[in-house]
Formats: sequence, C-alpha cells, structure tokens
Amino acid sequence: MKIIVICCLLFLIQPIFAQSTIKGLVTDQRGQTIPGVNIYLKGTFEGTSSEIDGTYFLETEERGAYILVFQAMGFKSQEFEIDLEGKVLEINSTLKEAINEMTAVTISAGAMEASDEKKAVVLRPVDIVTVPAAMGDIIGAFQTLPGTSNVGNDGRLFVRGGDASETSIFIDGLKVGNAFGTTASNVPTRTRFNPNLFKGSFFSTGGYSAEYGQALSSALALKTVDFPVRNQGDISLMSVGGGLTQTLAGEKSSLTASANYFDLSPYQSLIKQNFDWERAPFGWDAEISARQKWGKSGVVKAYLHTESNGMKIWQPVPGSEDRGQLVGVKNNYTFGQASFKQLGKNDWSYYGGVSYSNNVDQFNLDQLQVRNQNQVLHSKAVAIKGFSDRFSIKTGLESYLYTYEEQLLSEGLSRDYQDHHAVLFTEADYYVSNKLILRGGLRAGNSSLAKQTWLDPRVSIAFKFDHDGQLSLAAGQFSQMPVEQLRILDQSLHNTIADHLILNYFLSKNGRTVRAEAFYKDYKKLLTYEVAQLFPMPIGFDNIQQNGEGYARGWDIFYRDQKSFKNTDFWVTYSFVDSQRKFAHFTEMVQPGFAPRHNGSVVVKHFIQPLRSQLGVSFSINDGYTYDNPNLPGQMNSKTKSFQDLSLGWSYLPKPNLIIHLACSNVLGRDNIFGYQYANVTNEKGVFEGNPIRLQAPRFLFLGIFLTLSKDKTANNLNNL
Amino acid sequence: MKKYSLAIIAMMLISFLTHASNEAYVKAMQKELQAMGSALSPEDLQKIANGFARIATMAPEEWLPEYYAGLALANAGFRSQGGIEEKDTFFEKAKKHAEKAASISPDNSEIVALQGFITMGELAADPNSRGQHLSAQAMQTFNKAVNLNRKNPRAVVMLAQMELGMAQFFGQGPEKACGLVKTALDMFEKEEGLESNDPLAPKWGKDMALQLKQTCQ
Repeated sequence: MKIIVICCLLFLIQPIFAQSTIKGLVTDQRGQTIPGVNIYLKGTFEGTSSEIDGTYFLETEERGAYILVFQAMGFKSQEFEIDLEGKVLEINSTLKEAINEMTAVTISAGAMEASDEKKAVVLRPVDIVTVPAAMGDIIGAFQTLPGTSNVGNDGRLFVRGGDASETSIFIDGLKVGNAFGTTASNVPTRTRFNPNLFKGSFFSTGGYSAEYGQALSSALALKTVDFPVRNQGDISLMSVGGGLTQTLAGEKSSLTASANYFDLSPYQSLIKQNFDWERAPFGWDAEISARQKWGKSGVVKAYLHTESNGMKIWQPVPGSEDRGQLVGVKNNYTFGQASFKQLGKNDWSYYGGVSYSNNVDQFNLDQLQVRNQNQVLHSKAVAIKGFSDRFSIKTGLESYLYTYEEQLLSEGLSRDYQDHHAVLFTEADYYVSNKLILRGGLRAGNSSLAKQTWLDPRVSIAFKFDHDGQLSLAAGQFSQMPVEQLRILDQSLHNTIADHLILNYFLSKNGRTVRAEAFYKDYKKLLTYEVAQLFPMPIGFDNIQQNGEGYARGWDIFYRDQKSFKNTDFWVTYSFVDSQRKFAHFTEMVQPGFAPRHNGSVVVKHFIQPLRSQLGVSFSINDGYTYDNPNLPGQMNSKTKSFQDLSLGWSYLPKPNLIIHLACSNVLGRDNIFGYQYANVTNEKGVFEGNPIRLQAPRFLFLGIFLTLSKDKTANNLNNL
Repeated sequence: MKKYSLAIIAMMLISFLTHASNEAYVKAMQKELQAMGSALSPEDLQKIANGFARIATMAPEEWLPEYYAGLALANAGFRSQGGIEEKDTFFEKAKKHAEKAASISPDNSEIVALQGFITMGELAADPNSRGQHLSAQAMQTFNKAVNLNRKNPRAVVMLAQMELGMAQFFGQGPEKACGLVKTALDMFEKEEGLESNDPLAPKWGKDMALQLKQTCQ
C-alpha cells in the first residue's frame, strides 16, 4: 500500500529536470552589503546564507510558486514572491534596519547609568561598594562622577552648583523622602540604604525625563535586585558595627531580611576625634524585601526599611572657650514601598506602585526641644504603548501627599501643613533610525497648598556616529517646591525653577569610556530671607521672598579605562562649574559655598591575582569652598584652601565566601577645611571670631569582614550585584 | 467499508507524509550538524545557525534546531576576534534561540547547560567587570542542569571548568574539579557506547573534558 502511495507521489513530483538558481546581493539602505543573512524558501528546508561580500547563491529542485525570505537580526525581514521554473533568477534585496535596543542610540545627556544590562554605562553596580572613598555609601561612589562636588562636611549629593535638596532619590521609580540620615550641622551624613540592595542605578545631573519631578538639579533612580540566585546568609562584622542578612530564593518568589547595628563609640574611643562627642552616633535598622513573579512576565516587589539612630555632640560656639552648645539628635525613620511591572498585550506595558516614608527628628538644643515629622506618600501608575519599534509613548499619573509638622516640645507649640500634588506626565520617543532619536515630554502638576499649577516641557535629541560615539542635546524646565522648613513659614510659596541646557558626547567601546558634557542652568524664583541665627541650626527666618536667581555653567569630562593596563580599572573626572546665585540670606549674586569651581577625582582599582586582592586608590581634589567672612566687606568674600583627599582600600578574598575589606580615608591626614563659622557678635577687639569647619577626624578607618553562608559555599556578598 | 478504507488510506498518507517530512528534517539536521563539526570561523557558524533556524521554522515543535542554532552562535561568540560588542551580539542571538528551545522543552538539562555555556561566553568577553556576578550565575545554571539530569556530561564538564577556575583563583586544590572531569569523561564514553542513541542528540563537549584532564595532570 505504502509503496503504491510512494509511487504515486513520485509521479506527482516527477517533472524535475532542471534545478532553479536564485542569486543576488543583499544590502542595507545605505548600500552596504550584509553578510550572514538567512535566505530561504518559505515552507521548505531549502535555504542559504549571504557571504561576507553580501552575495548569495541558492540552488533548488523545487518548482512552482514560492516565497523567498530574507532574514537577519537587526533588519526587518523581506519577502519576494517567485516562480521557480528551472531558470536563473536574480533577486537583490535591500533590507530596512529594525530598531535594535542593544545597539541603537540612547539619550546620554545628563545621564550616568550603573548597570549590567545596558551598554551606555559609566559604573557597574559592584563599583559602588568598591570605591575606597565611598566607605560603602552609595553616594560616595557617585561623588567620583562628573558634575558632582564633594562637600565633605555634609555628605549628600551636590550637583552642578545646586544644593543638596535639589537632588531627588527614587527606588524602583518611587520617591524616597529623607533618603539621608538626620545629622547635626557639619557632621556628614550617609544614605540610609544598604548598597547591596541595588543592582543598578540611573544618575542624572540634568535634563532628565519627564517621569521625574520636584528636583531642580538631579535625579537618582535606584533599582533593587530582581531575584537573588540562591538561599544564603550573610554576616558582616565591621569596625563600627555588624549585621545579619538572610535570603530565601525560590523559583517564583524570594525574601530577604536583614538587621544591622552600628555604634561609633568603641571606634572613637580608640581613634582621636576632632569633635567633642557626648554620645557617638549609634543606631539600628531592619529591612525586609520580597519579590514575587506575577503571571508570565510580571514582577511584584515590596520593601520595608525601618531604623532608629541618634547622637549627642558639643558644638563649639565661636569666640567662646567652653564646650559650646550641646546638640542632641534622635531620628526614627520608616520607608516602605510596593511596586509592580507587567507586560500587556499589543505592545502595552505597565508599572507603578506606592511608597511611604515617615521621618521623625528630635533635636535637643540646650533647653530647647524640637520635633519635626516629615511624611511623603507617593503613588504612581505608568503605561507605555509601543506603536511600532520606532515610536512609543509613556504616560503616567502620580499623586504625592506631603505632610510636615514642627513641634516645639519645650514650649508646647506646634504647626503643620499638608500639600497634595497631582501630576500627569507624558513622554514620546521616536527613533528616526538606529542613529537618531527624538524625545519630547511634558510634566504637569498642581499643588493644593501653593494653589499653583505648572507645566514643565522637556526635549532631547541624540545622534550616534559611525564610530559609535553619540552626541545628545537636552533642554527642559524643572520645578521644585522650597524646603519644608521654609514652606511652613509661608505656605503660599511657589515652585523654584531651573532651566537646563545640556550637550553631551559619549563613547564606550572595548573597555574604554569617554564622556564630555557642557551645561547651562538658569535658576529663577529662588528663596531669599533674613535669618537671625545660622549656627548650629538656622532659626529665625524672616522676610521670605521668591526673588532669588542664579546660574550655573561649565563642562566636565570623564574617562574610564579597563583595558590599557592589565587587571586595572581606572577613571578620571574633571568638572568645571561657574555658579553665581542670589539666594538664602545673600542680597547679591555670590558663588555658593557648595559649588567649588574646579573639581577632580581619580579612582584606580587594581587586582592582584596571587594575593586574591583588589587594591583601590581614590583621590579627590577641588579648589576650595567659598565662605562669608564678616570681618571683610562684601558677601562670600573668602575661599578655603584646596580640599584634597587620598583614600586607600584593600579587599581580600581568602576564601570564595569571605571578603575582608580595609579602607582608610585621607591617608595623608590633610587638614581639610570646609569653611568657617563666625560668632554672631564681635569680641572686644571688634573682630568676629571664627572656627574652621573640619571633619570629625582627619582619617576614617574602616575594617569589615563579610561572610556568606550558602549551600554551594562559593557565593559571596557581591554575587548578587 | 469504503469509508474505512478511505480512512486507512488517509491515515497512511498522513503517516507517510510525516515520515517523509521527518526524514527531511533528520536529513537537514544531519547536514547542518556535519557542517558544524568542521566550521571554525564565526561567519561559518553564523551560516550554520541560519540553517538550524530554517529547520526550526519548518519543525516548530522540535527543540533541537533552536538548541543547535543557539550553540552555533555561542561558539561564534567564543571564536570571535572582535570586541566585546561583537561577541555580545552573538551571545544575545544565542540566548534568544536557547530561550525558544526552553519554551518548547522546559526543564531540559541540555538547554539549561547551553544557557550556562552562553553565560560563560559573556563572562569570558569581559571578565574584569562581569566576573563577579556572572561566575555565580554560570555556576548556578550548571548546577541546575546537573540536577535536571545527572548523566549530562556537558553540564558536568562545564561545572568542572567553573570549579577549576574558582579553585585556581583561590589557590585551592583542584581535586573537586578534577573529580568532576573524570566523571564527565566516563559519561562521554558511555554516551558514545550507546548504540540506540538518537543521532541528533547533543554529543559535543568531550574535547573540553580532555583539555581539562590535561590541566588536572
């Protein structure tokens, strides 16, 4: 039976005598030949590939009508209807390029990414923990990047002539209120969050997307670790405290819980301090984070962080010999958030979530007791629709509820305000080609307290050259409400405004990265006021007005090289900032104390294989901080000597699951001065006496031992980064 | 009766046609596999991957064509003399095929091992900045592949390679890794001895084991 059928079929396909030949050339739209294109007859096993010169040649015994397909990654497939009748066919194909996310141009103006996924990155997540000067603080690593100024006595991020409040921090897209620990003036603070929690970050020094608002200068978006790979326990023992972390990883969900404690007293009793501590900083924190896969492509993440810490310090009063004023700080902080992302049908995708932060500070200034509470509730929902591989629109709806309360406990007085912001943003991306992208965005907001509605437009454009370098230009308007301490005094205050213009060149190729950027930032509606006392806490604000203004302009350059020297990775940064502004208690345009003109840093990491060690060196320098000397005419009339810091770090891996990290800041012991603090009244000689503002100790020494316990014994603390 | 015979003929025709297409499938696969044995340059490997991708469109229920397309591209990535970007492009394409294979045949030790092999390639392209997190990921993937099929010599030998690198890095003895190499070689020999073996089943990796054996001696 079967034989009969075979015979029948053989008869059916009998008339094969001559082979058909198809040949031709495959090129792209610019006429360049494409090798490796997959060329085949649809519905058959017949096919071939184009050669290095773009030519192809296909011989087939098939006859009849067929569809000839040209397929290559990075291009749109092309099909031809052909008739095979034993002759030679010549078919030349011109393939249209498809937008390839991997290699297409990206907008790099203002942006610096730390991630493993994308190409246009400046830092890797692991760098954040291994920059010696960073001492494990996320911000410490960013301070070695272009556009930032190192303001050692503050510890927060100062970007291009902007003050620290002009940077907003987001975790998984949601706003983090009070991201830095509360501290006394001139005692540097740190971020509250464990760097091992994050696997990537996006740091923008201006011109950023319409998705981010309420930040005049800069946005820092941190992305939490997705799914840890295994169950593990981490134990850390440091010269300043210790912690425990337990991770449970499943196929679809995972849970990480950690608890940490720190107390600087033992350390400070061993190493001489410049500051007069009554109680050295101490505190604890606890964290839980959970992740769950949702459906085929969705992820839900939840994160809760709570902490409590405090310190008591004697702050010297200029012109007086005694211990000065006793300042006590107690802080309780909670941050919680839940976020989701999900891919929908028809090229829709969605993400969003809710975050809540609650910060309670209690300050004791001699007999005065002040309690401040700041709460931020942020909710956000975003939908992205891809209309084609070239065009997509992202639209988001946000709500922010800010609640701020100040209490003078000793007097039984209190005042508060509540402000609700409703925000709508939309942003369109259009790829003209793989080489050219246009982006336009709008961010509209309304504040219930200020009774103000605003609209911030943002545009950017980026072009990629044939040598893979890219040029981007970004411009936009950025609005931010003044700080809480002033808004509570005058609730009709409107947004402060900054306009940005940024031109950026970026090239990352084969282990080397060059980034150069020029910027201009124009400030409007800055706050000016009179103030009764500046130190140790600014109090007694009067005559608050919004007639301040200013500008910041300059350029910066960044070079990173992981290739030229074996086992060595280094980067060099120089930033020039020319900034003048009329703000705060100044009545004329001055150079702010937090905006040094020349800023540079070098970070070198060298791996020594036989010692299983990584040596790190970082050096930061600037030309000094301006300050106000009341003994001289004018405002901001003096400048400190240059700030310089050489930090060394040594990480040693004796065993796969054990890391020993030793770091020392300011190894040379340079006496860095960040400004002077002057007495409010003159002494008997008619001179305002001043005290230099220094760090708490010339050097900070850090020793940490990090042990990871897991089933395969080879995991360590850094593996999840 | 007529109905039945028609049905029988139809069934036979179907069985014949599937047989014929199966034969064509096997023939096409064998042709590409043979070419892969002698292909060295990334360009040739790309062509072979194209061949497997063509077969995959004809036999969408089979995981092997996607698997081999991924393997050919991974090998192209390893052999590429270009920069990180060029290598990454190959590995990126390889990943897509491996993912497709995994969606056709989930929890398949061979596919998981291939995914680990691709990760190893990405690691090798830029060990300085990727070593830290990708070595853990590769190790994890090979462990998973071994757990899915303890007799998969490719999973074992690549796990051995990772273990050896780790031991060398930390100045530890290679005993554990070398033990794995020996186990893998035994498995490879058993695999070759099997007469009933599917001619299309993955069989590569023995040269890797032999090379590691030399390091162990």
